[in-house]
Amino acid sequence: MPPLLLAAAAEAASCTPMRLNDLGHLLQVMGTFLGLSLFSLGGGNTLLAEYHHLSVAEYCWLRPAQFADIYALAEAAPGPSSMIVGLLGMGAGWPEGPGWALLSAYGAEIAILLPSTLLMVVACLSWNRLRDSPWRVAFERGLGPITLGILFAVGVKILQTADTNAPGVVVSLLVCVLMLRTRMSPLWFMAVAGGLGAFGLINR
Amino acid sequence: MTDASELSPTAPAPGLRQLFTGMLMVALSAFGGGLSAWSQRIIVEQRRWMSNEEFLTGLTVARLFPGPNQINMAVYVGTFFCGLPGALAALAGMLLVPFTLLMGVGLLYFQFHTLPALDRVLAGVVAAAAGMALSMGFKILDQYWKDPVALLLAVVTFVLMTFFHVRLVPLVLVAGPLAMAWYWPRRSHPSPPAGESP
Repeated sequence: MPPLLLAAAAEAASCTPMRLNDLGHLLQVMGTFLGLSLFSLGGGNTLLAEYHHLSVAEYCWLRPAQFADIYALAEAAPGPSSMIVGLLGMGAGWPEGPGWALLSAYGAEIAILLPSTLLMVVACLSWNRLRDSPWRVAFERGLGPITLGILFAVGVKILQTADTNAPGVVVSLLVCVLMLRTRMSPLWFMAVAGGLGAFGLINR
Repeated sequence: MTDASELSPTAPAPGLRQLFTGMLMVALSAFGGGLSAWSQRIIVEQRRWMSNEEFLTGLTVARLFPGPNQINMAVYVGTFFCGLPGALAALAGMLLVPFTLLMGVGLLYFQFHTLPALDRVLAGVVAAAAGMALSMGFKILDQYWKDPVALLLAVVTFVLMTFFHVRLVPLVLVAGPLAMAWYWPRRSHPSPPAGESP
């Protein structure tokens, strides 16, 4: 076998998708998201780089282009964009058919929301005591800058994953500026860029 | 909970079913964006469940604690009136329609994403979405501009993740406590207005 093919085979072997057709693996998916839930700072977007690592490199649920697609779909769909976890779960279960995919999707979404929801309930019920606590102040002021750094890292990671041609990168940068300078709905940007893709001006 | 002496005219506290339908309305109204504005409009202005102040407190708590802000806000509203069951009712109302819709979109995507025409459109949409992702950091950059330590923390975090591929969980577990220690409120200057005593 030529060395190039060998290398490709080795790479494929290093990233074999997890089979989901038994309950143990479904629970593994859920356990992964349960453990990440409390690390979703800054409204949940801080987790995107970690989602990318898990689903593309570690468990091979998705190919990089699929991850970029799913991120875009979650941003375009109505409702909180953090529902992307449902789509990741669906990708994990897809090889076993739509039924498992849906089960895995609901499991993943419940898993990512459960711990943060329980913590939030406790926080609401004890807010009067928490509000003036030094822990609250230090947490808010200390984790803010870290969140800032993570969000920039996430932005770069998504841009790398999108991996479009030069016109595509120009559109990305333009959309970034428009998001900051105007109050236009991002759906417009997606619709226009989708059109540019359909006509072949943006490709990957 | 609220008595007649309260100045702001608030409606009677909602039960589980009202929480569910109220959040369902918020989610449906916010198709196309503006979830936060819609929840304020419906919860404070239309249904008068909360005063604006109570709602804003909720936003503060929702942003502070881990979890998606809008979902945390639903949990806050639910917990405010009915504790944990209320939180689950509000959450279900908030997510039912959008999540069902997203599952439909997802099934269609995984079924058809290999079609060349769809892939071409998605390549464009992905470029726009990448721009949106890139803007997230810039959106909150302003508030840290005058704090060199904060900027240094952000830069170190960014470099560790992007160039040294440090994973999120160990990063937050190490950098978080260090940053909290640095920003621990000092005794020397008086603490900001204590407000009413607990």
